[in-house]
Amino acid sequence: MEIGLAHYLTVAAILFTLGVFGIFLNRKNVIVILMSVELMLLAVNINLVAFSSYLGDLVGQVFAMFILTVAAGEAAIGLAILVVFFRNRGTIHVEDINAMKG
Amino acid sequence: MTPALIPSLGPAVPEILLAVAAMALLMVGVFRGNGASNLVGWLSVAALGVAAVLTLGLPGERVLTFSNMFVVDGFARFVKVMVLMSSALAIIMSMNWLDRENINRFEYPLLVLLAALGMAMMVSANDLISLYVGLELQSLSLYVLAAIRRDSAVSTEAGIKYFVLGALASGMLLYGSSLIYGFTGTTNFDALATLFGREGYSASIGLIFGIVFLAAGLAFKVSAVPFHMWTPDVYEGAPTPVTAFFAVAPKIAALALFSRIVLGPFAEMIDQWRQIIVFLAIASMVLGAVAAIVQTNIKRLMAYSSIGHVGYALVGLAAGTEEGVRGLLIYLAIYLAMNVGAFICILAMRRKDGMTEEIRDLAGLAQTRPGMAAALAIFMFSLAGIPPLAGFFGKFYVFVAAVNAGLVGLAVIGVIASVIGAYYYLRIVKIMYFDEPAAEFEAPMSRELGIVVTAAAVFTVLFVLYPSPILDSAAVAAAALVP
Amino acid sequence: MYQAIVFLPLIGAIIAGFFGRWIGDRGAQLVTCSLLVVSALLSIIAFFDVALGHGGARIELFTWFDSGDFAASWALRIDTLTAVMLVVVTGVSSLVHIYSVGYMSHDTSIPRFMSYLSLFTFAMLMLVTADNFVQLFFGWEGVGLASYLLIGFWYKKPSANAAAIKAFLVNRVGDFGFALGIFAVFVVFGSLSFDTVFANAPEFVGRNFLFLGQQVDILTTICILLFIGAMGKSAQLGLHTWLPDAMEGPTPVSALIHAATMVTAGVFMVCRCSPLFELSPTALTFVTFIGATTAFFAATVGVAQNDIKRVIAYSTCSQLGYMFFAAGVSAYGAAIFHLFTHAFFKALLFLGAGSVIHAMSDEQDMRNMGGIRKMIPFTYVMMLVGTLALTGVPFFAGFYSKDMIIESAFAAHTDIGEYAFVLGVAAAFLTAFYSWRLIFMTFHGKPRASEAVIHHVHESPAVMTVPLAILAAGAVGAGYLFYDYFVGHHYEEFWRGSLYLAGENVLEAAHHVPLWVKLLPLVMSVSGFALAWALYIKAPDIPGRLAKMHEPIYKFLLNKWYFDEIYDFLLVRPAKYLGLVLWKKGDGETIDGFGPDGVSAVVLDLSRRARKLQSGYLYHYAFAMLIGVAAIATWFMVMGG
Repeated sequence: MEIGLAHYLTVAAILFTLGVFGIFLNRKNVIVILMSVELMLLAVNINLVAFSSYLGDLVGQVFAMFILTVAAGEAAIGLAILVVFFRNRGTIHVEDINAMKG
Repeated sequence: MTPALIPSLGPAVPEILLAVAAMALLMVGVFRGNGASNLVGWLSVAALGVAAVLTLGLPGERVLTFSNMFVVDGFARFVKVMVLMSSALAIIMSMNWLDRENINRFEYPLLVLLAALGMAMMVSANDLISLYVGLELQSLSLYVLAAIRRDSAVSTEAGIKYFVLGALASGMLLYGSSLIYGFTGTTNFDALATLFGREGYSASIGLIFGIVFLAAGLAFKVSAVPFHMWTPDVYEGAPTPVTAFFAVAPKIAALALFSRIVLGPFAEMIDQWRQIIVFLAIASMVLGAVAAIVQTNIKRLMAYSSIGHVGYALVGLAAGTEEGVRGLLIYLAIYLAMNVGAFICILAMRRKDGMTEEIRDLAGLAQTRPGMAAALAIFMFSLAGIPPLAGFFGKFYVFVAAVNAGLVGLAVIGVIASVIGAYYYLRIVKIMYFDEPAAEFEAPMSRELGIVVTAAAVFTVLFVLYPSPILDSAAVAAAALVP
Repeated sequence: MYQAIVFLPLIGAIIAGFFGRWIGDRGAQLVTCSLLVVSALLSIIAFFDVALGHGGARIELFTWFDSGDFAASWALRIDTLTAVMLVVVTGVSSLVHIYSVGYMSHDTSIPRFMSYLSLFTFAMLMLVTADNFVQLFFGWEGVGLASYLLIGFWYKKPSANAAAIKAFLVNRVGDFGFALGIFAVFVVFGSLSFDTVFANAPEFVGRNFLFLGQQVDILTTICILLFIGAMGKSAQLGLHTWLPDAMEGPTPVSALIHAATMVTAGVFMVCRCSPLFELSPTALTFVTFIGATTAFFAATVGVAQNDIKRVIAYSTCSQLGYMFFAAGVSAYGAAIFHLFTHAFFKALLFLGAGSVIHAMSDEQDMRNMGGIRKMIPFTYVMMLVGTLALTGVPFFAGFYSKDMIIESAFAAHTDIGEYAFVLGVAAAFLTAFYSWRLIFMTFHGKPRASEAVIHHVHESPAVMTVPLAILAAGAVGAGYLFYDYFVGHHYEEFWRGSLYLAGENVLEAAHHVPLWVKLLPLVMSVSGFALAWALYIKAPDIPGRLAKMHEPIYKFLLNKWYFDEIYDFLLVRPAKYLGLVLWKKGDGETIDGFGPDGVSAVVLDLSRRARKLQSGYLYHYAFAMLIGVAAIATWFMVMGG
């Protein structure tokens, strides 16, 4: 079976969905949310690279490089905020992040 | 057409200045420590000011550079000046406050500076890639700003909530971008516009999905309902000057970006877009009006207020005409003045034992602090859209544009929502003027802030007399965006 | 200079009104009085310049509206008519200001009072200097507002509030007509500027337009509508009921607003619009009829009143009737002349009455007065002068103006003119009777007040008596001095076209009426005096017996021809009933239930729900976003595809 564009897109879509669901189904740990975010970005990268190769156009890959770079920064910032939150509250349970509501 | 090896840097001079200033000031901060934070702050304000002046000095016509990824036109200039001004004001507003709260670190003005750079990039984006980079530069700075009060549980919680949802929104926006790229073969706005403008072009399902995801990401950034859920929590949790910043500059930049995308690359698909925007506008206006009524925290109230105001601004965008964009820009300019003024007043709500944020603490302010009460009352009346204050004209122009574009129902709903919304603004006025005084606030606001708040109040009151500078420049800016 | 005349009172009003707390009672009095006096002096200069010299001006202040076809500007129109009014308004007003310093000295909110007085003066000046109908209407409503505020000045007194509301409401009826008239002017002429309208009016003679579904004569309709406004403001028959009640206000207010100035606004307006009224004989007939009837009606009512201020109020009403029928027979000069002299002697009478009331410890019922002429001789003399002027005793002011009016009515030689002549003469008799009755009941006979009150009777301070003296000088000399200018030989050069005449000058004819016509008013006046003397000095028990014998007539007069009762039955009660039904059933149950109350309950409920949605949990927020994406995507799939 030839692996075509559709397969890549399907994989990416599944990964993306997993990422999204990871964010709002997960009730335990914020780290998992960070991972889910990465998962979404990776799905996007798969999409972009697959399209890039399919279209024979380099822009997609350039875009992917940008996303990788920014994602690194994003992860760092996310973890940093998580650390200060943990210092304040002593927990990183998702259900504990609800001091503010209404 | 081969791009030149070294792109023309001229149009991007303000951004380059901001980037260089940010780096240099980072060095200053690192080597001089937190003692230099006021210096860094004022230098950042200076950098933003110079950048704004440079922006004004850019040529009026549309200029592309960096392989057509970066565009400068009248629209970008108008919005950038507003963004840079409000960022500078945000730094000025914060300095005194940060000192008192013992969180005066040099990173703060730097982060605002970087966010401003990101916003300037967003406004000038002419490509999905530059859009993403600008947006992320802004968002990452804002995440940190929200959590900058490291020892506060609510501030860090605001940071986390903003970060997680922001990342989700970025993910959606990116996913949308990737689909758009895949189904059109380009990321450039001009190329996209040409493509969609072609005779008989019909969008494939994949492209539609791409547009939907892109729209969702943008709607998150402007905090339109139902992508608004982060707003109240983040506004409440973030330190007040940060909230003030959030409420103005990023909103303006994101709305500008939204308009550029809707009326640039996707201008030919306005009919489909319009449905989304109308939906977002109605939901935002109604929720902003309704949910604010039961709030007791003034920052949270301002969050719902800003959601509502985004709804009104989107009414102008929904019109999709030059008149609509003009209304939107006028709205944003007026919104800037009103919100900066209102937040300065909120910043002055300080007692001996620290900041207060409860609306009931404003009780009887008219007796203890008549000047501040009068200013806040002016802003509240204006936010409620009561003539002849500026806020009324903001609403007036967007509603007129909507009616002229045939969206009468939308305008009617907008008027009804603003009537409902007037309730909670007027309630604040009532509390300030008719309730028994609560404990007095500490020393009055600093001189700089006094000047700014007075200027904002004067602008709000006197806009009716001399509106033409704003109206005319907004008209020029709108003409640049809508061909 | 003209700007100063008009705006100095406004400045005074603003200072006294907004800064009264800082400058204090004395400061407020000082500021408003001195500004008014300056304004009055300037007005006198203006009068000499414009009316006696040959000045005159139209001063454009600034553009007010300029919207489409509709343009109006603030401008001061200064001609003889305006100059006369300026003198009357600022003169009486400044005297009343000064008088108030004494009269209101025991009041607790003096700055407010002085501010209202000045505000009224400003509005009145705006009215008389108007250059177009919009500005006229502005002044018209401005004086109405100030009158409302001043009648209800003692807002803790329910009767004062009721009277203020009544004045406002009754005036509203008139203003409705007035506004309709202005609208009609704009529709017909496309402009509201006096110059344009008056210049184009002759083109519309005899033309019709559709009004209330009927073809009616344009000019007649406009004039009658405008006159309905004048009827409200000048308390003419039908819309007069507010004026006697307005006496609830402080006495200086009655003197200024409800005798000398505001109530004459209607007369002024008719004269100002003489180029319109002259072109519509029907409207003039109507004006004459209403004026003459009012003159007679109010005089009969005045005979039976016991409240000293109400007697003078009905007298005012009656004298206004004279002015109107003078205007109605095209004797505009006589109308304004009477307005001019009346301002002096009627203000004098009111302020004198105020002085009496002040002396009698706020007693207003004449049945409780009597025999005080020895105790307050100055006031007595002043009242006497006012009465002599009012009853038209030769060489006093009223003699010249009132006789001129009656002669003009006779000289008009029309049916309506004769009607006016007969009623005018009859009213002159009644006027003399009730005026002397007032004097006799108040000052002569035996004291009927309690020992304590009598003991307390005292002459008023100089700040109150000096204005009286000045007004008395006017009441004596104004007629003789200005007779030639207003209605005599210098008529043409005095008015210089500010009063328009379509036909013969009826005043000219009035000078040549038979001698018996000239003497008749005097005879009436003397016989009125004689009757009053006979009834109240010679045989004071007769009036009571007369009243018993002819109880229906007495009751009829005492109750002012039952106007209030008829209005109450025909209008007030049905309106109240309707209002009650609409309020309880319509508004309370239906509209509020589903409207404001219902909506606010729904909104509050929604608000609480929205608050619940904001749960604080990240995953709920993310889920909301996902729902949003799904909704938008579905929308696209279904709608656009």
